Amino acid sequence: MSHSTTEHAHHWEVSWAPLVLTAGILFLVPLTFAAWFVYQNHLYAMVFAGIGTPLLLLGVSKWVSEGLSHKPLLEGVSPKALPIFIISEVFIFLGLFSSYWAMRLSAGDHWPPAGTPAEMNLVLPLVMTVLLVSSSLTYHVAEHKLDHHDIGGFRSWLMITIVLGLLFLGCTIYEYNHLLHIGFGPSTNAYSTAFYSITGFHASHVIVGLGIFLAVLIPAMAGKTNKYFAFCAGLYWHFVDVVWFFVATQVYYW
Amino acid sequence: MKMSTESHGFSLKEWVFTTDHKRIGVLYLIGSIAAFAVAGIMAIMIRIEQSSLGPTLVADVATGGNQYNVWLYFHGAAMILGFLIPGLTGFAANYFLPLMIGAKDVAFPRVNAFSVWLFYAGIIMALLTFVVSDAPDVMWTGYPPYSVLTSGNTAFYVFTVHLLGFASILGAVNFLVTVIYMRAPGMGWNQLNMFVWSTVTAFVIQLVFVPVLAAAVTMLLFDKYLGTHFFDPSQGGDVLLYQNLFWFYSHPAVYVILLPALGILFEIIATFSKNPIFNYKAAVYGGMWGIVLIAGEVWVHHLYISGMPDWIRIGQMVSTLMISVPVGLLAISMFGTLYRGAITYATPMKYATACLFLFLIGGLTGIPLAMTVMTVHLSETSFVHAHFHYIMGIFATFAVFAAVYYWFPKMTGKMPGKKLGDLGFWFNFIGVNVTFFPLFLIGVQGMPRRYWNYEMFPQFEPIHKIAMLGALIVAVGMFLTILNWIISAIGGEKAPANPWKSVSLEWTHCPNPPGPGNFPKDVTVSADWTPYNYGR
Repeated sequence: MSHSTTEHAHHWEVSWAPLVLTAGILFLVPLTFAAWFVYQNHLYAMVFAGIGTPLLLLGVSKWVSEGLSHKPLLEGVSPKALPIFIISEVFIFLGLFSSYWAMRLSAGDHWPPAGTPAEMNLVLPLVMTVLLVSSSLTYHVAEHKLDHHDIGGFRSWLMITIVLGLLFLGCTIYEYNHLLHIGFGPSTNAYSTAFYSITGFHASHVIVGLGIFLAVLIPAMAGKTNKYFAFCAGLYWHFVDVVWFFVATQVYYW
Repeated sequence: MKMSTESHGFSLKEWVFTTDHKRIGVLYLIGSIAAFAVAGIMAIMIRIEQSSLGPTLVADVATGGNQYNVWLYFHGAAMILGFLIPGLTGFAANYFLPLMIGAKDVAFPRVNAFSVWLFYAGIIMALLTFVVSDAPDVMWTGYPPYSVLTSGNTAFYVFTVHLLGFASILGAVNFLVTVIYMRAPGMGWNQLNMFVWSTVTAFVIQLVFVPVLAAAVTMLLFDKYLGTHFFDPSQGGDVLLYQNLFWFYSHPAVYVILLPALGILFEIIATFSKNPIFNYKAAVYGGMWGIVLIAGEVWVHHLYISGMPDWIRIGQMVSTLMISVPVGLLAISMFGTLYRGAITYATPMKYATACLFLFLIGGLTGIPLAMTVMTVHLSETSFVHAHFHYIMGIFATFAVFAAVYYWFPKMTGKMPGKKLGDLGFWFNFIGVNVTFFPLFLIGVQGMPRRYWNYEMFPQFEPIHKIAMLGALIVAVGMFLTILNWIISAIGGEKAPANPWKSVSLEWTHCPNPPGPGNFPKDVTVSADWTPYNYGR
C-alpha cells in the first residue's frame, strides 16, 4: 500500500514491446490458424507464421530486457500478481476437466468409447511424473543458489531443469506418435478428444514454462538476473507440475 | 516540476507506444466507440430489415438470408465484447481508477499496453467479418451444433473471444494488484470510491469466468477444424455442454458490465446530489460482493428451455430471484444518495437519471423471465430481446456516455457542449424507449426473436415500423453525441479545475488533464477523508 518515493520521471512512458508482441500473436495464432485450417491456404499460413514468429520473439526479448533494466513503480510486485493470474489458469483447466467429467459420467457403461486401445501405456506417465517433479526440485536448488549469489550454480541448475522439461516434452511426443500410429487420434472418439486436449493443453504450458526459463537463462548468461522474475518462473513451473498430477490421475489412471 | 501537457505537443510515438494508463484509457475509448458505431449500423440494418414482413434489405433470400445472421453476429459480439466490456473495464477503469486511489499508474504499465493492443487485435478479427466471404454467422453465443456445421468462419469468432478474453484477464490481474497494493497511504478499504469497488468486483468475475469461456470456444474451434468430439453426441460428446460452459461465463459477464456501470452512476449521483453514498457498506459488501457470490450459480437459467430436470429448474429459479437482493441493496443505496440531495441536472446527471429508469424497466421485466412458469412462454421472444437491451444494452451504454460526459473536463480540459449534449440525450432517451418498449408488447404476444422474415405474424408489422423509427431517432442522438464530443474536445470552452465540485481525488488532486505521473505531489489521505465528504 505504500508508494516508492523515488522521483517519478515526468515524461510520457513508452515501450514498443507490447505492440510488437501483440502483432506477433495476431499473425502467429489467429491468422496462421485461419489460413491453414479454415482456408487451406498453406502458403499464406507460412507467410503469416513467418511474420508472426520474429515479431513475437522481438517483443518478448525487448520486454524482458526492459524488465531487467527498468525499475518498476512498485518493487517486487510480480510475485504478488502471478498467483492471481494462476487462479485464472486454474479455471481454464477446470473448464477442460469438467467437460471431460461431464462426458465421462454421462457415458455410463459406454466408457471407454470404441476406438480406445485396450491397454494404454501406464508406465510412461509415471516416468513423466518423475521427470516433472525432479525438475521442480532442481529449480528449487537453482533458486537457492541465486539467493546465495551463486550465478554460476543458478545457471547450471536452471539448465538441468530445462533439460528435464525437454525430456518430458520428448515423452509426450513419443506417446502421441505411438498413439497416432495405432489409430488413436484427436478425432477418434470422446475419450481421445479429452485425452489430447487436456494433455496437449498441459504440454503447451510446459512449453510456455520452458520459454520463460529461457528468458531467465539468456540474460543470466550475461550475468543479469532478477530474483522476482526467477521466482515467478519457478512459481509458474510448480503450478504446471501440480496440474500434471490431475492430468495423470484423471486422464491416465482413472 | 511542470505537469502540463500543453508544453509537449502531439507525438504519435508517445500515443502508439504509450504505457500510461490515461492514454491507454483513451485508446480503449476510441476503439470501443468505433466498435459501437459499426455494431450500431448493424442494429439499424436489423431494425430496417424487420420493418416489413418479407425481405427488406437482405439480398440473399434465395440462399437463406444468411446476411442477416452476419449482422446479428457482429452486432452482438461487437456490442458486448468490443464496446461494453472494454468501454467500462477498459476505458473507464483505466483512466479513472488509478486517479481515484491516488496512484501514479497501474502496477504493470506494459501489461496494460499489451491489454489494449490485444483488444485492438480482437477488434481487427471481428472486423475481418466484412472482408471474408464466409463471415461468421453464429450470433455472439456460437451454439453448436450450428457453429460447428456452418460454412461460416467460426474461427474468427473464437479468436475474437480469445484475444479480448486474454486482454480482460491481464487487465483483471493488473487492476486487482493495483488496488490491493497501490492505494495512497492512509486509504482504507471503506474509503474507496464506489467505482473502484465496482471495478474490483467486475475484475474478480473476469478473472474467474473468462477462462472458462476461452476453454469453451477453444473446444468449438477444435470440434470444427480439428475433428474432435466435445459437442458431438454421436461420439460420446455433449451438445449442451457448450451452453453450460458458455453461460457459466456469459451470465457473470452481464455483471462485469452491470457493476462498473453502477459504479459510474454512484459517482455521478453523489457528485450531483452533493451527498455521501447512502448505506456504503451494505452496497459494497452486500450489493457488489453479493453479486460476485451469486454470479456463478445462476447460469443454468439461460438453458431453461434447452432441457433439464425440474429440480434444477426450480433451484435455478430460486438462485436467479436471489440476485434481486444484492441488486436491491445497490438500488436502495442509489436512491438513498439522491434523497434530499442538492440535485443539479447537467448532461451526465441526465444520463444517470435515465439509467435509473432503464434499470427499473429492465430489472422488473427480468422477474417474469426468471419464473419457470412464465419463461417457457417468453423464451426466444422479443420480450427477452427487449429485457436485456434495457438492462444490459441501453442501461450500460448510457452509463458509458454518462462517464464520458462526467469526466470529459478531466480528460480534455474542456467543458462538453451543453446544448448539443442535452439535445443528443433527449434523442437517445426517447429513441431507445420507442425502439424497445413496443418489443415487450409483441414479445408477450409471441413475436419470435432473431427472425428476419415473420410472414406468419403479419399483425406485428406496425410495431416493427415503430421500432425502426425509434432506431433512427437513436441514430440521430448518437451522431449528435459523438459530434458534440469531437467539437467540444477541439474547440470547447476551457473547463474550471473542478467543474462539478466533486471531492473525489481525481478532481481535487490532479490537473485537467493529468500529466505523466498524474499527481504534482504524492497523495496521502487522512482517516476521516472519503471521496464523498460533502459535509452532510
